[in-house]
Amino acid sequence: MTIVSTHNLSVSRNNSPILKAPDLEISAGDRIGIAGGNGSGKTTLLRVLAGLEPVTPGQVRFGCAAREITLVHQQPWLFRGSVLANVEYGLAARRVGRTERRRQATAWLEQLGGSYLLGRDVQGLSAGERRRVALARALAIEPGLLLLDEPLAEIDEAGVEAIGGVLARLENTAVVIASPVELPEGFVERSIEVVAPRDSA
Amino acid sequence: MDFLVEGLREAVRLVASGDEQVLDATGRTLAISLSAVLLAVLLGLPIAACLARRTFVGHRLLLILFRSLLGVPTVFLGLICFGMFSRRGPLGPLDLLYTPSAIVFGETLLALPIVVALAHGALASLDPRIPETARTLGAGPLRRLLTYLSEARTGLILAVLTAFARCSTELGIAMMVGGNLKDRTRTLATATALETSKGEFAVGLAMGGLLLLLATGMTLLVAVLGKEKRSET
Repeated sequence: MTIVSTHNLSVSRNNSPILKAPDLEISAGDRIGIAGGNGSGKTTLLRVLAGLEPVTPGQVRFGCAAREITLVHQQPWLFRGSVLANVEYGLAARRVGRTERRRQATAWLEQLGGSYLLGRDVQGLSAGERRRVALARALAIEPGLLLLDEPLAEIDEAGVEAIGGVLARLENTAVVIASPVELPEGFVERSIEVVAPRDSA
Repeated sequence: MDFLVEGLREAVRLVASGDEQVLDATGRTLAISLSAVLLAVLLGLPIAACLARRTFVGHRLLLILFRSLLGVPTVFLGLICFGMFSRRGPLGPLDLLYTPSAIVFGETLLALPIVVALAHGALASLDPRIPETARTLGAGPLRRLLTYLSEARTGLILAVLTAFARCSTELGIAMMVGGNLKDRTRTLATATALETSKGEFAVGLAMGGLLLLLATGMTLLVAVLGKEKRSET
């Protein structure tokens, strides 16, 4: 089953092209890495796949519902309030009951090595902790397509191990921006290289 | 100088003894301005959210209009309302002139641009990751709106407080469409003006002092409550 396919994709901002992507076909269960230099449009491509970026010209076809796709930003935003409320956010949007919500949120945080964050407020969390909470929040909704922008940057060794371990066990379709050395071995099945439009012209 | 000190002493006595006139005007001022702010929030928040989240034909014009109305003179607004509620005016048949409802109407018009302009500022400056995160986690329109309001709450509270301060202290509307009728439409601001012009400086000072307390007290209360809430978490 095709989750997303793109054809002849480009994105422009203020009339200058910021992304020219190779054609993609992402099927269920695929694990794809996006590589490319600074400013090559990796993040923009991820945003296109998340349905957050208008495409001009080109085509993006989604084979799953928009709410099945979730994106974790490079610097994730956590909503005001508790860590738990953040992890439960997507579950609450899906009308999962309170007890079940709490159980799943706790389990995901635990898997990511963040049990100690359970009773905390998001204020005062470190960059690495914020990333773990955001990842737990994204994984909790069991997305059909998980989009991760540099999930392992700015994270200490223990964090890399915990997150890497979870990613390695993941069965979701995922597109990840990361250098292959950071990710667990064999996680990425294929890589796409994105080249900045100005360099390809 | 003496009459100032005398006035102040008398003002404290009037407030401390719970003078009926003073209490009556204070209660009415609170009721009228809180109603007006509530109405302005109910009307203004959706407008502000719409202006912050969408662009449409006339978007810029509407925003400029609301911003330029921030400093509208209350006496002018009072005049317009008087025209509307007077017997020959479009709202004349409602027979609301010289009632608290007419003041609430006028003060709602006064508060609306404040709520729209300040709430728009708070909502438009939200980090773009907030709507994106909410959307990609599958939040529906209502949950997204509640998320935006919660994320922008400091700015939104400021908008409400500013509107309240302006409504509770305004004189123009209350005077023109309220008429400063004893036991019916007298507010702290109109009472202050009246008592002072009658030469009852102490009563005027008491009313004016209470007005000042009301306008600044609400801000202090919110600041204190906000601090307690933060220290709890």
